[in-house]
Amino acid sequence: MLIPNIGPDKHQRDDTWSRLLEQVGQARDEAAFAKLFAHFAPLIKGFCLGNLNSNFPAEAAEEVVQEVMFKVWQKSPSYDATKAAASTWIYTVMRNCRIDLMRRHQRTPTDREGIGIDDIWDEADDDHAFVYLQQASNEALINRSFTQLPPEQRQVLTQVYMQGKTHQQISDETGLPLGTVKSRVRIGLKKMQTLIVGEEKVVEKNRGNAQ
Amino acid sequence: MITHHPDDNVLTEYASGSLATAMGLIVCAHLQTCPHCRKRVEQLNKLGAAILNHSVAETIQPETFEQLMTRIRNQSTDVAVSDVKASRSPELHPVYANDPLLKHLPKVIAKLLPRDGKLKWERVSKGLKSARLVTGQKEYEVAFQRITSGSTVVEHDHRGLEMTLVLCGSFSDEDGVYREGDFLVRTPGETHRPTATQNQDCLCISVVEAPVKVTGLLGKLINPFLSFRPA
Repeated sequence: MLIPNIGPDKHQRDDTWSRLLEQVGQARDEAAFAKLFAHFAPLIKGFCLGNLNSNFPAEAAEEVVQEVMFKVWQKSPSYDATKAAASTWIYTVMRNCRIDLMRRHQRTPTDREGIGIDDIWDEADDDHAFVYLQQASNEALINRSFTQLPPEQRQVLTQVYMQGKTHQQISDETGLPLGTVKSRVRIGLKKMQTLIVGEEKVVEKNRGNAQ
Repeated sequence: MITHHPDDNVLTEYASGSLATAMGLIVCAHLQTCPHCRKRVEQLNKLGAAILNHSVAETIQPETFEQLMTRIRNQSTDVAVSDVKASRSPELHPVYANDPLLKHLPKVIAKLLPRDGKLKWERVSKGLKSARLVTGQKEYEVAFQRITSGSTVVEHDHRGLEMTLVLCGSFSDEDGVYREGDFLVRTPGETHRPTATQNQDCLCISVVEAPVKVTGLLGKLINPFLSFRPA
């Protein structure tokens, strides 16, 4: 099958991907899946390779990409676009895949009593109908606020996510005191929150003016 | 009303996938009862997505997609869909279903209960029983702690990090009152004496990364019962 010529396009609206992912889940649409693959597979590989010093051997990146996208195909019937954007959902699939791979690498079985990675890291699980008082901020705002962070905070958050390391491990490796790692993460998140709230106010105001 | 939550550092480690499985377990159980933290984790997942979106796009080898599609076509998708469904709704053994403390456990915790209904409670001290849970984790001990209504647990300190989630009832210590859904972290060196409220037994689940040492005179007698035994 030919991969459609759609390169990674950061300006494409995220809900395009969400619609495609729904088509994969509901209609098992291979063409839609090919488009998702063309966009996300290179990013997943980049995310893995940005993963220096981790338990991920660089040559395994292709395999990881295949594994993640295989899970995306498998799990897509449970995808609900009203709960998460495609990029967030794919991020969580990728994260769980990595936890699984790292656990297997360290030979620590987690499935002895029927408890699996997806039982513990599962956001799709929604038996209790939670009522959200306020919709969580949208992806675009979070994306933008992340790019506005000072390099130091951006870097520590990137390390935390890309390398999948605990604060303690980052402290051990960088020589920064644990407290410093913790406070950089917290300050980074707080700063993002401030930027998001600020932007939301502007959006509200514009909406008010338009009416 | 839940008043004690995991902090941003714990939630970030959870959302980025670095938190140890045993710790992830009780954070997950907390999320099942706490919309506030669920929303926070959702945002932290979106941050993960943002970092994924900002990753350098690396060229994928041309054969990878075709290999993947071959793999997908070779396996029955119907099985995959029913697997997703089958992993849900664990059956609760009648022994647990009839126990007021155990019948409303968060799903992720209910899955840890021995399927034969034989949860083994051990007396730790007056008013405190504990039952270890098997999680396959080497570095952590995961256990239920059951405090009889009105009892005060012998003073103990924490040599390792301990995370506790109140599952049922409530207890208090020098620092405050902890109710259903509350999430506590004890760092090494902290000492406390929890007391369960008068009207009800209190059930907690705790994850300890190193042995808990009982301080005080009585501690010398009790310590053998609290030996660190991960399972």
